[in-house]
Amino acid sequence: MTLVKTSFISLLLVSVSLFTANNANASSETEALKARIQSMEKELSDIKSLLRQQINTSATKAEVDAVKKEVQVSNNQQNERESFDSKVHLGGYGQVGFSDGNSTNSRFNQVQFSPIFHYQYRDDLLLEAELEMEVEENGETKIGLEYLTIDWLINDYMALVTGKFLSPLGQFRQNLHPSWINKLPSAPSGFGHDQAAPISDVGIQLRGGIPFGDSSHVNYAVFVSNGPELELNEDGDEIEAVESAGFTRDIDGNKLFGGRIGFLPIPNVEIGLSGSVGDIALEGESDRDYEVFGVDFYAQVAKLDIRGEYMKQEVASLSSSIAEEGQQWEAWYLQSSYKFFTTKFEAVARYSDFDSTHADQDQRQWAIGLNYLIAPNAQLKLAYEFNEGLADSSNDDDNLLLQMAFGF
Amino acid sequence: MLLKMNRVSFFIKAAAASLMIFSSMLSAAEPGDISRGSVDWANNCARCHNMRSANDFRDGEWAPIMTHMRLRAGLSGQQTRDILAFLQSSNNRPVVSSSVLHNISSPISLSGKAIYNKTCIACHGANGEGAISGVPKLSERLPLSSDEVHLQHIKNGLLSPGSAMAMPANGGNPNLTDKDIAAVLKYIEKEFGQ
Repeated sequence: MTLVKTSFISLLLVSVSLFTANNANASSETEALKARIQSMEKELSDIKSLLRQQINTSATKAEVDAVKKEVQVSNNQQNERESFDSKVHLGGYGQVGFSDGNSTNSRFNQVQFSPIFHYQYRDDLLLEAELEMEVEENGETKIGLEYLTIDWLINDYMALVTGKFLSPLGQFRQNLHPSWINKLPSAPSGFGHDQAAPISDVGIQLRGGIPFGDSSHVNYAVFVSNGPELELNEDGDEIEAVESAGFTRDIDGNKLFGGRIGFLPIPNVEIGLSGSVGDIALEGESDRDYEVFGVDFYAQVAKLDIRGEYMKQEVASLSSSIAEEGQQWEAWYLQSSYKFFTTKFEAVARYSDFDSTHADQDQRQWAIGLNYLIAPNAQLKLAYEFNEGLADSSNDDDNLLLQMAFGF
Repeated sequence: MLLKMNRVSFFIKAAAASLMIFSSMLSAAEPGDISRGSVDWANNCARCHNMRSANDFRDGEWAPIMTHMRLRAGLSGQQTRDILAFLQSSNNRPVVSSSVLHNISSPISLSGKAIYNKTCIACHGANGEGAISGVPKLSERLPLSSDEVHLQHIKNGLLSPGSAMAMPANGGNPNLTDKDIAAVLKYIEKEFGQ
């Protein structure tokens, strides 16, 4: 019995000592584990932080794909720009309108479409052509070739322009007549067809520009062409007008020589001088002298644009002609426009005066207009013309004009 | 008749002399320069028509258009190349945020003043009041929006209300980084802010 007791007590003591020892070991392991967990938590936190930083500063797959796409687009554009020798552009302009005169019925009119084709070969050649398609009063469509030239870019300062070209005399006909550029729905008095300003011609031109100084610039155009023809009145005894539609014949057999020089002393100011001399004739008659003289200017002061132009055509008398008398056509205009900032409105005012030796052609005109710029190349124009001409003639009729013009 | 022949002779001689003079001025063609192009663009296009946005046409279309305009406006070949470079560099719309591009590309930092004088001055002018018609005064526009909005306007381009022309993205200079844009905005605010 004593042995059993002694054994039991010994066993108990051993167990207690073992338990105590185990307990001490477990406590230290727990501490070690805690330390490891804390260390791992810190590492995890650092990794999370780094990951967040990386996400914020790195591209996602979607973003990288977008960049790849952009690079591809950019490469395509670059290839398009640099790899092909021939480049094409189809541009032009169109217009539709409404007019209401004092003595005419109101009508929707001015339906015109003028596509322009540009074909360029390297930096050497440009073919440019404009078609003019217009619906006439009787509903028929008139189609004309406004111009067609093949232009050889000889060097940085000179190009040879050959074919049918807009007259380089003055500014309105060659640069300002497209409806999306012209700030009023109509041409100034005297600057329409068969009036004081030549329209177009067939021949060759040298033209270009030379910058000098910091911001000054000279541009020039000299030409030789078939020249215009004379148009008789209904009775056939007076010269009615000079037709300058661009003829491919030369009935007087002599060429017309002329040109324009423009001087830009400071940016956005231009002064131009134009002139041409040559012969002109009625079919079957001897030729007679023909001269054109013109001056034009443009200036921009803040939001105000001011431009003006003077043009005079003169035909000498010829005693042997059925229309003996000499004639002259003279016209000028002054135009100012102002853009109202923070709106898309632009106000325009223009005075023009056309004088000829035929009283029924004369006209003095005040035109005022308000344009809404839908886009830089599209505008809605509202204008009123106060006209003064031969009493009871169409030139004396005031007009309300509305026009939508779009250049593309 | 004698007088007439003299005139004709004068024009022929003048044309021939012009040809000789201009041919003698031949110089090696330089590639287009964006900065010069922006100035020529601002100084010449509005002489006849409202300013067109660079985004109106693709790069390949701008080439024949600019050749056409060279002939119409009497520009030199170099002016034409410069304006073409400016338009072609201005018409690529950003498709991803420029911050991504910023991380990918290696920016070349310029001071805000240098960037303004190189990129912005052609249209906004040295005094910030607008060098061409339709460009608003910076002093009037700055208080109207936050910095963030101004940065987006510079990055993406902007057509101001009442202005006939749009400012191209990055002012037409594709090399500008976010850092450059921030620098130039800081300069603009310092110089032209009220």
